Amino acid sequence: MKRLRQILRAVRAQMRAAWMTAMQYRLSFLGEGIVSLLWTGFTVVPLIVAYDYREGIEGWSFNECLIVVGVFIALQGILEGFIHPNLGSVVQLVRRGTLDYVLLKPLDAQLMVSVARSTPLKLPHIGVGLALAGVMAARLPDPPGPAQAGVALLLLLCATAILYSIYVFIVSTSFWFVRVDNLSFLLISVLDTGRFPVVFYTGAVRVFLTFILPVGMMTTYPALALRGLLSPRGALTALAVAAAFLLASRLVWRTAIRRYSSASS
Amino acid sequence: MIEVEGLTKVYRSPKKAPGLWGSLRSIFYREYKKVTAVDQASFRIAAGERVGFLGPNGAGKTTILKMLAGLLVPTGGTVTVAGFTPSERRPEFLRRITLVMGQKQQLLWDLPARETFELNRALFDLDKAQYGATLDELIALLELEPLLDRPVRNLSLGERMKCELAAALLHRPDVLFLDEPTIGLDVTMQVAVRRFIGEWNRRNGATVLLTSHYMADIAALCPRVIVVASGQVRYDGALDELVAQYAPDRHVVVRLLRPPTAEEAAQSAPLSQVDGRMEALVPVSEVKAVVDRALRTLPVSDLTVEEPPLEEVIARLFAREKR
Repeated sequence: MKRLRQILRAVRAQMRAAWMTAMQYRLSFLGEGIVSLLWTGFTVVPLIVAYDYREGIEGWSFNECLIVVGVFIALQGILEGFIHPNLGSVVQLVRRGTLDYVLLKPLDAQLMVSVARSTPLKLPHIGVGLALAGVMAARLPDPPGPAQAGVALLLLLCATAILYSIYVFIVSTSFWFVRVDNLSFLLISVLDTGRFPVVFYTGAVRVFLTFILPVGMMTTYPALALRGLLSPRGALTALAVAAAFLLASRLVWRTAIRRYSSASS
Repeated sequence: MIEVEGLTKVYRSPKKAPGLWGSLRSIFYREYKKVTAVDQASFRIAAGERVGFLGPNGAGKTTILKMLAGLLVPTGGTVTVAGFTPSERRPEFLRRITLVMGQKQQLLWDLPARETFELNRALFDLDKAQYGATLDELIALLELEPLLDRPVRNLSLGERMKCELAAALLHRPDVLFLDEPTIGLDVTMQVAVRRFIGEWNRRNGATVLLTSHYMADIAALCPRVIVVASGQVRYDGALDELVAQYAPDRHVVVRLLRPPTAEEAAQSAPLSQVDGRMEALVPVSEVKAVVDRALRTLPVSDLTVEEPPLEEVIARLFAREKR
């Protein structure tokens, strides 16, 4: 318990420093909010075009589809605001050898690099996404109750865990290959497929997005939960997949750290 | 405090044929060669000792230091520091050591140094009162007061190094690993850093391991030196003995009130005339006799006996190695 409190204090101190650094550039905070709103608009445009000629696609009405878009935007904000700045910096730390200083602290290095650069900059983005999903869900003929909303949030957490784990896999390879910035951009692009319900895709793409890189699970499942269409089994599967990804990421990280050769002085 | 036995580190580094064709080939087929950075190093360091690591670039000094600090996993041999195996990086171990690297920094670039100190307080879970006392002591010793509230990016290199030292010592470690702490600093700042390290060791009895390119650092701080070349320990012992062993001569220089007569010059051998003064390299055992004779026979205005500079001693050691 004492150890947990210590860890929480350390995490808080890390985030405090990161936020203070971010505040140095306080205008960006306002800018981010405006960009998020614009971005949401652009994300919705293709859907408006697609739905102009028909009522529903693969069992998803326009409004229901916007729930997926909302979840997608929130997840994108989480990736860009909390996962990418933290784990993306590991590549730099490895290249410059300054990961040394992280490894010299008496706290888990993975935990520290995962929170050290969290900033509030993308909170507006996440807020816009959640608001869109919430508003659209409330306008459903059969709006979700608190329980369904809770499950949806839990599934969003699972999605975050999966996304985080995939990113850990990517940065862990930097211990071998050093330059992996491009791989993280690939991840951001693949996540883009999550802006539509996974049933919109067919064939190999759908298999890929369901079983290999479960983007479908990440954005479609929370929306299905809000629509009341996700079975308990589906929710449990998402939990299990998230746990498996987290565990695997931990193992990969620990193997990678032993390979760390530090940049020479 | 530190026990090292047969310590070895082998890196696998990619071998690339020269030119564009070589680069293309290495994408598909990569050959590796093994580079032995540290080869069977063994030594023991007692608590409170100050030990300098000497050696040419790429000798393996930093690799040894990083293995001692737990950043690198040894390929072979055993290391214990304060009773711990460093590569396990247990929190209790990390609380007892610190590593300062002259070429890298832990200070938060955009924020004042005070914020890095606060962060380290949380990361090391330091008691508030004890942290305050240590910080006050460091501020006084390093004269940090005027630097604390300026963003680190606005500090000079020397000022930054002072803050780096403070950040690294807040948790009062027993073992200090210092990798080129004075690199790039001007002479005044080098002296300040050196003085601080010596004072800290005296006050706290902390063990200090230092690598430096500046022999003055080693000469001022380290009674004992370990010389490393090609990953192997070539000398381990007192600095004085190293000098005695590899620099058995002293440079005796006599300045004169007037040019000596031929007879005076002949009597004062082995001293010979160079640019209006008399000088010679004299074996330590004969220095007294030579100086006595010079004082008796020559019109002396000034007389100095100097050890050769440490740089020269080390150069001689490596020259002998190569032969």
